[in-house]
Amino acid sequence: MKLAEILAELKAKVLANEHRVEQLQFEHAAASDLMSEVLAIAKPDVVLITGLCTPQVVRTAEVVGIPAVVVVRRESLPSETVEMAKASGIVLAATKMSMFEACGRLYARGIRPIWEV
Amino acid sequence: MEKVLDRVQSFFLDMSVLEVMNPNVISVRPDRTLRQVKEILRIKRISGVPVVDSERKIVGIVSIEDIIKALEGGYIDEKVQNHMTKNVVCLKSSDTLKEVIETFEKYSYGRFPVVDENNRVLGIVTKNDVMMALLAKLGLVYLHDERRKEVLESPDYFDRSLITGESLDKSGADFYFPIDYYDINLAGVGASKLRQFLLSKGVDPEMARRVAIATYEAETNVVIHSGSTGAIYCFIKPDSIFVRVEDTGKGIDNVELAMKEGYSTAPDHVRELGFGAGMGFTNMKRCSDNLMVVSKVGAGVVVEMEFRRNREGSR
Repeated sequence: MKLAEILAELKAKVLANEHRVEQLQFEHAAASDLMSEVLAIAKPDVVLITGLCTPQVVRTAEVVGIPAVVVVRRESLPSETVEMAKASGIVLAATKMSMFEACGRLYARGIRPIWEV
Repeated sequence: MEKVLDRVQSFFLDMSVLEVMNPNVISVRPDRTLRQVKEILRIKRISGVPVVDSERKIVGIVSIEDIIKALEGGYIDEKVQNHMTKNVVCLKSSDTLKEVIETFEKYSYGRFPVVDENNRVLGIVTKNDVMMALLAKLGLVYLHDERRKEVLESPDYFDRSLITGESLDKSGADFYFPIDYYDINLAGVGASKLRQFLLSKGVDPEMARRVAIATYEAETNVVIHSGSTGAIYCFIKPDSIFVRVEDTGKGIDNVELAMKEGYSTAPDHVRELGFGAGMGFTNMKRCSDNLMVVSKVGAGVVVEMEFRRNREGSR
């Protein structure tokens, strides 16, 4: 699924690296508020959904190699988080949607978890 | 009996203040505002800071009581120099634990800076530091195995590789990053730089990712737990990458427990940032092919990790 479609489905606003939105697509997503968990489970080719909005989110994504992050339950993000995303080339978007709804919508559209049970 | 007591007493009371004090002093300059001090106290969870000039000479001290007064009196945005306590009771570097205890009895203050002959701050002593020093002296030092003991007792503890036992020429590291900040919001900067460095050296992205994730966890541990600064060293070898993350902070008293998945001692303000899930060492173990952790209470932590290039079945 194209990142542009994912972001439209989530009614998310892009805050950093909009020019990369059209280049990216994803089959998998991961959702977590625990950065250690992201480090433990995430693969590089996922879109990360999280409720955290600190600069750590971007740094964690960068270390793992995750190219796009959607922050839920928010319309705007702290400027240092946005600046860090801009500098690192990671697409950063925010939506007012809850994490549950965001995940549900993407799952319904065919985005898969990192591993299925 | 009396003789034994005498001997035990002198064993403790003759300890130098340098053994007791915390050498990692957080201090402020006189031109800072009390509001800035308030933030430092809050973030570092301490109850007072010495005020020093550009040569680290002591000129005053500000405690949490001063901050409360400033908040009540409405002058929290004024400069430290106008409201600090100027007659600071200090300990001398030649003092012993006996003098430290007497000073605590004589004055009701919570902390005493330790200064050299030029009044430069060398460390700080709180009652907690006294207690920790006594406990350490009592031998309540966790020994997690004989090998660890051997490493700790060797004089070159900080200069020898835990994994290979070879002496380590840190100045020859391919990558060096000083973890010289305390702000949890910066945690991971070193790991992120290391990843970029490895990629620039043509290291396979998956390999760089493994190294960066494990280093990120180790770096975050230094920032959250050590209460000190530290460093990251990376050596690129033909068939492996070797990373050493060390600090000189308070150490881990039970390494086995700390290694357990889900175990965490991270404070709430850190958990709010998404850390403290107790997965740090688990992640390091998973990403590396060889992990060694050595620590002693009060003497810091050394984490060494080896990442082999021809790793099979890596996730």
